Amino acid sequence: MTTSDRKGNRGILLLLLLPGLLALGVSFVAPLLWLLRASFSTSALGGADGSWTLANYADVVLDPFYWRVAGNTLNYGLTVAAFAVVLSYPIALFLARTTSRWRGVLTALAIAPLLTSGVVRTYGWMVILGDQGVINGTLQALSLIQTPIRLSNNFLGATIAMIEILMPYAILAMLSGFGRLNTQLEEAAAMLGANRLKVFWRIILPLSLPGVITAALLVFVLAISGFVTPRLMGGGRVFVLGTEVFQEATVTLNLPLAAALAMLLLVLFSSVIVIYRRALRALEA
Amino acid sequence: MADKHVIVEQLVKTYPGSGAPSVDHVDFDLEKGEMLALLGPSGCGKTTILRMVAGLITPTSGRIRLDGRDMAEIPVHKRNMGMVFQSYALFPHMSVAENVAFGLEMRGVPKAERAARVERALDLVKLRGYGERRITQLSGGQQQRCAIARSLVIEPQLLLLDEPLSNLDAKLRDEMREEIRDIQARTGVTAIFVTHDQDEALSMADRLAVMSAGRIEQIGTPRQIFDRPATEFVANFIGAGNFLTGTVVEPHQANVPGLGMVVFGLDAPLGKDVRLLVRPHRFTLNGKGENAFEGVVRHLVYRGDTLTLDVDVKDRTFLVDLPTHAGTLPERGDRVTLTVARDDVTVIGTAA
Repeated sequence: MTTSDRKGNRGILLLLLLPGLLALGVSFVAPLLWLLRASFSTSALGGADGSWTLANYADVVLDPFYWRVAGNTLNYGLTVAAFAVVLSYPIALFLARTTSRWRGVLTALAIAPLLTSGVVRTYGWMVILGDQGVINGTLQALSLIQTPIRLSNNFLGATIAMIEILMPYAILAMLSGFGRLNTQLEEAAAMLGANRLKVFWRIILPLSLPGVITAALLVFVLAISGFVTPRLMGGGRVFVLGTEVFQEATVTLNLPLAAALAMLLLVLFSSVIVIYRRALRALEA
Repeated sequence: MADKHVIVEQLVKTYPGSGAPSVDHVDFDLEKGEMLALLGPSGCGKTTILRMVAGLITPTSGRIRLDGRDMAEIPVHKRNMGMVFQSYALFPHMSVAENVAFGLEMRGVPKAERAARVERALDLVKLRGYGERRITQLSGGQQQRCAIARSLVIEPQLLLLDEPLSNLDAKLRDEMREEIRDIQARTGVTAIFVTHDQDEALSMADRLAVMSAGRIEQIGTPRQIFDRPATEFVANFIGAGNFLTGTVVEPHQANVPGLGMVVFGLDAPLGKDVRLLVRPHRFTLNGKGENAFEGVVRHLVYRGDTLTLDVDVKDRTFLVDLPTHAGTLPERGDRVTLTVARDDVTVIGTAA
């Protein structure tokens, strides 16, 4: 192949990439740059003026409240990711391994909750976990408890609802990451003297780790950027970066501060992605 | 019978929902150190038998005994058999040495001894120095050797090989054939291997069992199978053949309608209909033989070592293989006389 050919190929590649790049540029890169700019300016009439200042970042860094919020967010993301992954793993493993002709139907069922909006499902959880909800109602009717257990309007409720809401994503991510699983490898291990427990620990688990890590990352990212569920299930008592950005941008109308908080969230994302890449590379090496 | 190393009796596997059994009352046995090939077209049940022996699937009925021990209640991981899978099934997240060591680790062999035995196993399959490599860094042939080392290092009582050569290219396949045979002879391990390739079965196995539709059609040495096929299926599956139907009219003579008298070597009852088989390369051209058929060369294919002819004899066509060094070769349209000795005419069985 000659150099001019290669150049021609590169031209075609660029041309093919252009629509995607344009769409991303307009809908993602430009607003992000604008947000970055806003985070360095002063609030004016619910927007941002043209000034340059580090005051917003100073506000965020110097206020212990935001450190707590960042800690809460991290805690929230990790808790939700851990439980969603542990609960989804058996389901995904079953779906990946089954030879049943119902496999397609079962997979569709597992991810069917995605057909309903997260808002609706959050309201569903309010009905289940509320003080007069299904769980407290049943327990009280059975006289097992006198006063309702606090399952909603707190961190616990927000966590439970978010775990369930994100489980379909975890299952999907795992299924896509289970490509190296293969029943013949399990049979080979068994032939070599491994009982079922050892087959799981030595073969199934290590080979499914890429899927697990991808799922954990996806759930974590979705959880720390979540706003609706922590807001509704937290009853105003759960403070995470998502809810605070919303608060500053639409209630307090301090857009530059909201932008600075959003940037903080972005830093959290990026560091997690770096860790994820390192973990995957370690698994493959 | 009881002192055989492996005994398989009346083995049946019927899958729910399918009418005919996949494996239908199969019996065979192996001496210690013997290599048996299960040969047959795909879907004949040969792999199912292998997997039942391994314990990977449960027989519907029948018995499998290894060293006199009934295997029915013994789970896969306690059978102490080695298996080489068609896809090799090497663990992709482990190095070559870790793959080979896996079985020893499961048996609780101490680390130092483990390393020594892995080393020896890798030596045996000519993979010395490859221990630290990743599986993905091995070629197909090397992966094959690694799979063999992994299954032999545990010193299995029985080695099972499922189409071990089918993933290799032709040249490597011939090489590995020799090598597997050699390794098996050196270790003295008893082995069963499954194949659909007749050359592979003939050249590697001490005995072969030819299978069709879940049943063993014939079991015997390569020579017995090739020269004295018990059924037409076996004759057809192993090599090409010319088949004739005739009535035995004299001892060792049958009248074949439309062809005439054919002399054969084996005993067959007078008055019975018989199927006769002549292998294409048993014919000689214009030579001596008790059977002589005149015909015209209709088609020929030059294959280097052999010349393959279609010869029209009366209203039938004989398939003939001639060695190419045998003097002048016929041309298309030549009149030739095909001769075949009586001992090269095999009686397959009585025709229906």
